[in-house]
Amino acid sequence: MIARPHLKTLLAGCVLIVAANAAALIGVAYNRSGEADSTLRLSQRELPLPHAWRAAGENSGIALRLQWQMTMPESGETRHGSPSWLDKPKLAALGFDLPAQHGLAASKQRAKEVLLVLEFDGPARQQALERLRRRAAAEEALLAANPGKKEFEQRVKFAQNRMALEENGNSRLYLIDAGLDRNALRAQYPDRTRYAIVRGKIRPSVIKRKHEEILIGFVSSLTGNQINLPREFHPALGSLPPNAKKNSELKYQFELAFGQRLEPWIVAPLTTPMTAP
Amino acid sequence: MATPNRTDAQQHADDILVFRRELARLEQDGVLALTELQRQALAAHHDALLAQYAQTFDIDRDTRGKQLSLGMRIASSFGALALAASVFFLFYQFWGLFGTTAQVALLLLAALGSFIATLWVQAKDASGYFTKLAAMIAFACFVLNLTMLGQIFNLTPSDTIFIVLAAHALLLAYVCNSRQMLAAGLLCVIAFLSARTGIFCGLYWLNFGERPENFFPAAMLLFAIPLFIRHERFARFDATYRTFALLALFLPMLVLANWGQVSYLLLDRSLIQGLYQILGFVLSAGAIWLGARRGWNEVINSGFTFFAIFLYTKFFDWWWRIMPKYLFFLVIGLSALLLLLVLKRLRTAAVNLFGKDQP
Repeated sequence: MIARPHLKTLLAGCVLIVAANAAALIGVAYNRSGEADSTLRLSQRELPLPHAWRAAGENSGIALRLQWQMTMPESGETRHGSPSWLDKPKLAALGFDLPAQHGLAASKQRAKEVLLVLEFDGPARQQALERLRRRAAAEEALLAANPGKKEFEQRVKFAQNRMALEENGNSRLYLIDAGLDRNALRAQYPDRTRYAIVRGKIRPSVIKRKHEEILIGFVSSLTGNQINLPREFHPALGSLPPNAKKNSELKYQFELAFGQRLEPWIVAPLTTPMTAP
Repeated sequence: MATPNRTDAQQHADDILVFRRELARLEQDGVLALTELQRQALAAHHDALLAQYAQTFDIDRDTRGKQLSLGMRIASSFGALALAASVFFLFYQFWGLFGTTAQVALLLLAALGSFIATLWVQAKDASGYFTKLAAMIAFACFVLNLTMLGQIFNLTPSDTIFIVLAAHALLLAYVCNSRQMLAAGLLCVIAFLSARTGIFCGLYWLNFGERPENFFPAAMLLFAIPLFIRHERFARFDATYRTFALLALFLPMLVLANWGQVSYLLLDRSLIQGLYQILGFVLSAGAIWLGARRGWNEVINSGFTFFAIFLYTKFFDWWWRIMPKYLFFLVIGLSALLLLLVLKRLRTAAVNLFGKDQP
């Protein structure tokens, strides 16, 4: 029996616990209500398993990582860093109070949460592929001009591997824009099956490039890029053949939705599970 | 006499034991001689009190009991932490085997069940050790409940979680008279207020730790709370508030005194470092003075600890590279001697200024 003076405490504690759970679940219900803000059909390229998935015997849950890329100013594409479109005018448009001169105030700029636009298999990827094709062609031309030279042979091989990886392995999600107004971004990118609006962080920073200090923006992270895979969808991952060495050999496809609060969830598996030969 | 809590009962029992020993010495020296009737009446009165306290509060009635009691406190603290960790790992081990509804139901039932169980244990446990252990498990279940909900439904992280956890921990702290839970609650309050300060200053909330000045409002609030809310029924709660307030003040100040670039201030890095070094010395010395003035031991100790840390980090900055090592450590040793002399004089002055210890 719980003593009578503790009944009020009991009530207060239970109300607190139930209210906290209810608030979270009402938020989830609201996020998943109505038409989703965007729905993408992603594969293991965009939603890979965590590296230590099979080794992690102490965690029976599975969270897929949302993998994305962005176009860099000079070096093609990469997953993290400063995208080519995130220049000084864009940073100012995102509400960063940029000083006229670089220096102390600029270096103390703080990260800010903004809305980011992810494009699935669109023009940004085509441009990246085109650039890689041109680079491979240029390397092949160099090899043709210097036949038999090992260095040029290796450079050709590297460029071809890089292109093959981009065509068949890397994520097709590209970070292409940022903004503060969700409606304006949706008006600019109306295709809800190709463009997802997500929350993320941008941090301005001063870097030295060719002896010159320039102000650029870094996309430091996307909020909620770990996506829980519910138990009922675990079989959709299939199973690896006994001699498989990597999780990346698994092939699967899921429909991923972003709701009213831009929180993602996996709606359903799209294909029957299979493994790479 | 009404005894409000276990700590007071333990203090009274200790006083009785000291009184008995002193009475025996006085009788042995022939200073005082009680009649047999007086001796019996006194012994009966004290025995009755000790028996009542032992029954109601499970106090330690002798030195051996106290030693065992310390062991029980340590075992209780370790047990609480280990069981809390066990709850986490148990859930992680099996949660993937359940559907979403079952996961949510399990989390909610664990949080509710452990909270109710804590109140039930408290009604049965006079010593308080098992209650504090149960309270820690209840808190761990609630932390797990909220963090796992976030993970299951991919929720956007929010600083609100800290204030909800703080409410739960503080409720358990005051109900179970547990300083461990109070510490957990105060840490959540510090995190919430610092995150809010960060948001107010334009930071993304999860980056609140990047600017140590964010912790200062929380430090001030925690220091002020025991000035306005009295905690007579809760042993050493006031001291816990003040200790956490000083930690939230001096630790960020120590960071800023060494890495000025993380400050909000738009000043030169070395100027910021110098400013916070001076502030660190002044405020830690002020804490020693205030602690001596008010009889707050934890404030004196915190002030002195941080004064020494500020001093020795400066010594390290100035002399570690330029001095031979034997000379550096000689300077450290001599400065410790100087501090001892200063403290000895301060202690004498404090006794003259503020009077002797209160009984």
